[in-house]
Amino acid sequence: MSDVTRILSAIEQGDPQAADQLLPLVYNELRRLAAQKLAQEKPGQTLQATALVHEAYLRLVGAEREQRWESRGHFFAAAAEAMRRILINRARDKKRAKRSGDRRRVDLDRIEIALDTSDEQLIELDEALTRLAVEDAEAARLVNLRFFAGLTLKDAAAALGLALRTAERQWAYARAWLYARLRRDHAD
Amino acid sequence: MNDTRADVKAIFLEALDCKQAEELVCFLQRACGSDSALRSRVEELLRAHRDAGAFLGGTESQEATRDEPIAECPGTVIGPYKLLEQIGEGGFGIVFMAEQQELIHRKVALKILKAGMDTKQVTARFEAERQALALMDHPNIAKVLDAGQTGSGRPYFVMDLVKGPPITECCDEAKLPIRERLELFLSVCQAVQHAHQKGIIHRDLKPSNIMVTLHDGMPLVKVIDFGIAKALGQQLTDKTLYTGFAQMIGTPLYMSPEQALNNADVDTRSDIYSLGVLLYELLTGTTPFVKERFKEASYDEIRRIIREEEPAKPSTRHDDPVQLAAEQCSCDSWKPSSRPGRAC
Repeated sequence: MSDVTRILSAIEQGDPQAADQLLPLVYNELRRLAAQKLAQEKPGQTLQATALVHEAYLRLVGAEREQRWESRGHFFAAAAEAMRRILINRARDKKRAKRSGDRRRVDLDRIEIALDTSDEQLIELDEALTRLAVEDAEAARLVNLRFFAGLTLKDAAAALGLALRTAERQWAYARAWLYARLRRDHAD
Repeated sequence: MNDTRADVKAIFLEALDCKQAEELVCFLQRACGSDSALRSRVEELLRAHRDAGAFLGGTESQEATRDEPIAECPGTVIGPYKLLEQIGEGGFGIVFMAEQQELIHRKVALKILKAGMDTKQVTARFEAERQALALMDHPNIAKVLDAGQTGSGRPYFVMDLVKGPPITECCDEAKLPIRERLELFLSVCQAVQHAHQKGIIHRDLKPSNIMVTLHDGMPLVKVIDFGIAKALGQQLTDKTLYTGFAQMIGTPLYMSPEQALNNADVDTRSDIYSLGVLLYELLTGTTPFVKERFKEASYDEIRRIIREEEPAKPSTRHDDPVQLAAEQCSCDSWKPSSRPGRAC
């Protein structure tokens, strides 16, 4: 049984420390995967963030085993969080480099990840998301899973243990909340 | 002051159910009463909901109908490949002839799968299969050369370009006599045999995956799309049937009973079954189960037909007695254990 699988079992059994162990493992795997892909392929090649998350899942937990959605849910929540940190750190580094006049492109550990969202937008989204988490933790978790781990609404609902209808409503609320927030911030 | 956050959310969600403007206005008046701060917050959210568009990937209904036409067209460059012209199309997506522009200059076939397929899983599965596929080296097998994702996130496969008609068409057009047909069929068997020895099951053998091309003036069989069916997993391939939640790989006309049963017990003998169907068609001009029947049948009915009915023996459809008819019938036995174990 892989380390991650063991940790997931422990989390399910209610071990409070297990959850803390998961994130660093997932985080490292994501960074390792990204670097490995870049080493194999042509320079300038970009990677799909969500493809990385899914590949990390396949490697750490395995494809063939029947995984209950609670386990998968924990994994993807950790992966989403890890992915978010990787992306936000990278965006902040680039912003800092630009401000300090450093023209050289900053690649966090040579990770260059393709997103439709610009660095500015990512940072703003991250801040808005942090605020949403204070008001409505579950809505924020849902956004994490969908945006940073690329889960469909159906899979995200399963990961969070929600009925699909409930997840749909949470999603509508979360989107509206974030959009309104970002729009307001821009107006100021 | 009351914490109105929960109220805002609840009112917002209920407001979404209002179909008409008047209904909404009435509802908001009732729900918010004289609390103007509450009302303006709810209205802000409703406006955001209306304006959000593709923000964060859009609403769920946008995602569900992801059947947009493929954006790629001749001239588009995907990685080292430049699309030249579209050469095929099916339920799975589109096939282009493309030109590889880096390392080796050559023409290839580039197949872009349609959207709505779980890209990450498809690509990850294909990566796993790619190693095995690279071990195949046979003159009658078109190689899968590369795989990746387009800019818009769709999976694509790059394969040897095979120019020529499907085997059944080729035999009919050229009015090939039985002997020549059997020789072509033998090449197909040799190709499948080779793959089986490398541990690869095709899973979707049918005439449109078996092409005949000309090489030094001689007809050469090329089996294509190895590895695609497995990579696609539970997704659709060309001309598959699906109703609701049940999805099938493989074309029902060529599908073995255990595949029709959705049995995980699919092994090389499923390919043998498909070869049997192909042989039947090459010899008689029609498949054991006639297309028309399948078109009208429901999904369950099709599965039942494949499992339970005996097809008409080839000799009753064709005037020439064929010595292989007996062996062919055993290929199509519904029990895998009754089939010939090897393709050759």
